[in-house]
Amino acid sequence: MNRNLWCGLIITLFLFSSAYAVKVGEPAPDFQATDSNGQVRKLSDGRGKFVVLEWHNNGCPYTQKHYESGNMQRLQKEWTGKGVVWFTVISSAQGQQGYVTAQQENDYLKQMKASPTAALLDPQGEVGRLYSAKTTPHMFVINPAGVLIYDGAIDDKATTEQADIAGAKNYVSQALEEAAAGKPVSMPTSRPYGCSVKYAR
Amino acid sequence: MLNHSFMTWLGFFFAFAVGLTQPMLGSSKSPADEHVKLKLISEQNAVVPGKELWLGIRFDLQEGWHTYWTNPGDSGEAPRIEWQLPSGFEAGAIQWPYPERLATPPFADYGYEHQVLLIVPVRPPAELKDGQTQKIAALVRYLICKDVCIPGQKQLELSLPVQTHAAASDGRGLFDAARSRLPRAAPRNWRISAASMADEFLLNLKIGKLNKTPQFFPFNAEQIENGASQETSAIPGGIRLHLKKSKHLLKPVARLKGVVVVGPGRAYLVDVPVSQAPGRATRN
Repeated sequence: MNRNLWCGLIITLFLFSSAYAVKVGEPAPDFQATDSNGQVRKLSDGRGKFVVLEWHNNGCPYTQKHYESGNMQRLQKEWTGKGVVWFTVISSAQGQQGYVTAQQENDYLKQMKASPTAALLDPQGEVGRLYSAKTTPHMFVINPAGVLIYDGAIDDKATTEQADIAGAKNYVSQALEEAAAGKPVSMPTSRPYGCSVKYAR
Repeated sequence: MLNHSFMTWLGFFFAFAVGLTQPMLGSSKSPADEHVKLKLISEQNAVVPGKELWLGIRFDLQEGWHTYWTNPGDSGEAPRIEWQLPSGFEAGAIQWPYPERLATPPFADYGYEHQVLLIVPVRPPAELKDGQTQKIAALVRYLICKDVCIPGQKQLELSLPVQTHAAASDGRGLFDAARSRLPRAAPRNWRISAASMADEFLLNLKIGKLNKTPQFFPFNAEQIENGASQETSAIPGGIRLHLKKSKHLLKPVARLKGVVVVGPGRAYLVDVPVSQAPGRATRN
C-alpha cells in the first residue's frame, strides 16, 4: 500500500450547498464523489435520468439480506437496464464496519455479481451526512429534473430475513414505476430500516 | 495529510481483522449468543385455569450492547415474539418499558442496555386439568447492536403445572421491576396539549414543577427528528417541549402519541390531538 493510493482513496467532494436539508419534493443537493474505479461522479451528471442512491455496508445483516438473496442485484440490473443511474454509496469510516478500499469494493461487486452504475466511496461521510443517510440500506430516488421523489426504506418488511423479500412491497421500484408513468409517488417517504450508517466518530 | 503510515497500517489492520472474524462468525451457530442471554420466565409457578398469567422475555445484554423499543428510532428493529402456546391459550401484546435514548449524533435510537424484561399477559382456557403440565414456547427474533448489529433468534421454552392456586415464581421481582418502567396514564390534573408549528411540534406539559427535564419518546417512527435535542421552555404551570419535525413528515399529524418520561420510573402515556397554531405559518 503506498501513500498515493491511500490519498487516491480519499473522496474529493464539493458540497454545493452544505446547509441544504434534503426533502422529498425539493431539489436533491448535488455532490461529487470518487467511485471504486477512481472515476469522479457527480449527481448532476445523471440529470435527465432517474438516479437511485443506495447506502451500503457489506457487514450489515440488513444489507446482507438484500445481497445474499440477490434482491439488490436484481433491482440494480432491472433499473440500470431501463436507463436509471444507480449509485451504491459507502459511508463507513475507516476502521468501521463496511469500510472498503476501492479494490475491496471491486472484488465485492464482482463476487456478488452486483451491477450498480458506480460504487461511491464516502469514508468521510460527506455524501451520507448531506443526505442524512441513517441506515444501510437507506434508499433515495431522484427524478430526471433533479428533484428528490423518494427517501426511505427499500421495502415494507423491516427485518433481516431473506424469506420476507418475496412478499414485500419494494418502495424503490414503486417510486420509479409511478414516476416513469407520470404519476405522483404514492409512498414518497418511509422509515428507512437497517443498521446505522457507520460514520466517523 | 498527517500520519499516512499510521493510516495505512490501520486500514491494513482492520481489513485483516474483518477477514479473520467474518468466517468465524459465519460458522458459529448464533453469533448473538455471545452478547445476549435470553430467557422465558413466568411470574407465577403454575397455570391457573382461566386466570391471567404474566410471562416475560428477559434480555441480559453484555456491556455496550443494546436492543430496541417498539419504535426503534433511526435504526434497528424491535424484538418480535412468536408464541407457541397450548390450545386455548391467548397471548396479549408486549408491554414495553420506557426506553433509553441511545444517541449517535445526529441520530438517535430508542432501546435498552444491560437488562430488560418484556412482559406479556397470557390468558389460559378455563377448562384445564389439574396436575397437567403445560409447555409454553416462544420464538424470539431480535436485533442487538453495539458498533455493529447482529440479528438473533432464540427458541425458548417453559413448562408449568396446572394448579387451582399459584404462588409467585423466583422471577416475580423482575416483573415488578418491569412494571415500574411501564408508562402509566397521566394523572387527571395534568393538562397536556400539542401544537404544530412550521418546523416543530410544541408539547405543552402543564404538570407542575419537575426536578428533571422531561423527554418525549414517540410511538410513531417518523414524526419527529429523533436525534434533535428536545429544547424546553417554561410555560405557566409547567414546561414546553420543542420537538423538531421529521423531514419524512409530508402530511399533517392528527395526534402525537408516545411516552413522556419525567424522572426515573416516572413515565406517562401521551395521546393528544395536534392543533395547527393560529396565526402562524404551518407547513404540516
